[in-house]
Amino acid sequence: MGAYFKKVYDVARGLVTGLGVTLRHLFLPSITVQYPHEKLSLSDRFRGALAFHPEICISCEMCVRACPSACISLESKRNEETKKKDLSWYKIDFGKCNYCRLCEEVCPTKPKSVHHTKEYELSFTNRNDFVMDWRPDVAQPAGSDFGQIWARFMAQGQKAGINIKSNGSSTPSDPVAF
Amino acid sequence: MLSGPSFETKMERVSETEMLLNMGPQHPSTHGVLRVVLKLDGEVVTGAAMDLGYLHRGVEKLAENRTYGQFTILTDRDDYLCAMLNNWSYALAVEKLLKVEIPQRAEYLRVIVGELNRIASHLLFIGTFGIDIGAFTPFLYAFGREREMILDLFEQLCGARITYNYVRIGGVSNDVPDGWVEKARKFVAHMRNCLKEYDDLLSYNPIFMDRTKGIGVLKKEMAISYGVTGPNLRASGVPMDLRKDAPYGIYSKFQFTAAVRQNGDCWDRYMVRRDEIAESCSILDQALEGLVAGEIMGKVPKANLRPPAGESYAQLEGARGVLGVYIVSDGGLSPYRLHLRAPSFINLAMLQDMLKGWKVADVVAILGSIDIVLGEVDR
Repeated sequence: MGAYFKKVYDVARGLVTGLGVTLRHLFLPSITVQYPHEKLSLSDRFRGALAFHPEICISCEMCVRACPSACISLESKRNEETKKKDLSWYKIDFGKCNYCRLCEEVCPTKPKSVHHTKEYELSFTNRNDFVMDWRPDVAQPAGSDFGQIWARFMAQGQKAGINIKSNGSSTPSDPVAF
Repeated sequence: MLSGPSFETKMERVSETEMLLNMGPQHPSTHGVLRVVLKLDGEVVTGAAMDLGYLHRGVEKLAENRTYGQFTILTDRDDYLCAMLNNWSYALAVEKLLKVEIPQRAEYLRVIVGELNRIASHLLFIGTFGIDIGAFTPFLYAFGREREMILDLFEQLCGARITYNYVRIGGVSNDVPDGWVEKARKFVAHMRNCLKEYDDLLSYNPIFMDRTKGIGVLKKEMAISYGVTGPNLRASGVPMDLRKDAPYGIYSKFQFTAAVRQNGDCWDRYMVRRDEIAESCSILDQALEGLVAGEIMGKVPKANLRPPAGESYAQLEGARGVLGVYIVSDGGLSPYRLHLRAPSFINLAMLQDMLKGWKVADVVAILGSIDIVLGEVDR
């Protein structure tokens, strides 16, 4: 009988000790973030979706060889006048991308023609939409590094009746209202 | 099929008073996709067989057509809870082939990120083990607060939160950003205080102790015969820790003791990991103090890395046990053969003997306490 009451006492004490931790935290500042209305600021090294700049690219294919999952492909033509390669098209398959930064590290141009951005909210409803292609003769939608992808993403949102706002690829993220 | 030929041989015969029960593959306490086929006599487990391979991606085969540098990112996805240690063990094996010298600063950074990742992995264990037993609150503290802090530190260091690709062949990929060491120091101090909270919430809670003390006892002899390593082995009273017994990197410079418990039950396996967090904190203190200036990358060719023909095996103390990488090189751009010694896979094998004689309700506690990661089991 004594052992029984001791057990009841021990368990009750255990519960109260645990609840004491909870009670203490009731008066501490909250660490919860109300995503998507608030967003945490990301570090400058954050590896988000890739961005590409066709006007800087020299078509050396270093990134194609560096990519472990073969998500980058490009085609170029030799320009007889300048003896350099002109980019015809450049494709990144975001469905395959590992976000490992190996392509950015080997890119020889300055600034890097392929690099990670801080974009992490990337979702599409069609598998083909994951393949992005850039062409030098097609104008890039203004706004961010991320122009073309973003334009496609926005168009999809508008189709679904959602007004999406970018958190910008180079600005620190402030609380964004949907 | 419940009673396919493979399971009949594993389980001997199912008598008329016994039944087979499938636990998983989609069961919240298996922490992934693992099927455990239990043979039950009433509520008592009389046999168990594991069905693996639901998460098999053929990483070892994929290595054969990736270059040495490219394979690092696949080791991230192997044991995704301590990817830094996976990167490190692979880098060690390739460096052994290349016979390259690692700069001191890189060695220190490896120890720092390795120990932080070990803490992160054990925090996830504490959280999910609590959930398995029925305590939800510790999860919010261990997983949602402290582990997030570590992931934030990693994000500032290398840009990723889970798959780091940070420890590279020959060194590490990035130097620490400004103020990072200070933040890490602050975290270590915070972590020490948190251990007291976990003790209040979980470790010494009488309900938790009733569910785990004396349950799922793993005898020292059985642990050794099954090749169990890591915290599971140390909980059975065998003080084996590669950081002490076969120091790799610069671990011989640090003062620490391997956490050992004697009984080998679920509670001891939990407490060993809890003690290891404290131990990692003291290693981190020493490493952050001793962090020397200098290069972070050794002399390794960036492109066309061709290690000389030969073979190498490197191992380190992972969060779950001895993490080994065996590489055979034929002098080409990619490994001829690569094998990973995955501690989770080897630790899982003992479960078929360990579950015998325990109640169904204890199965979850025992499975949770050996802390497997299915990504590593199936590879």
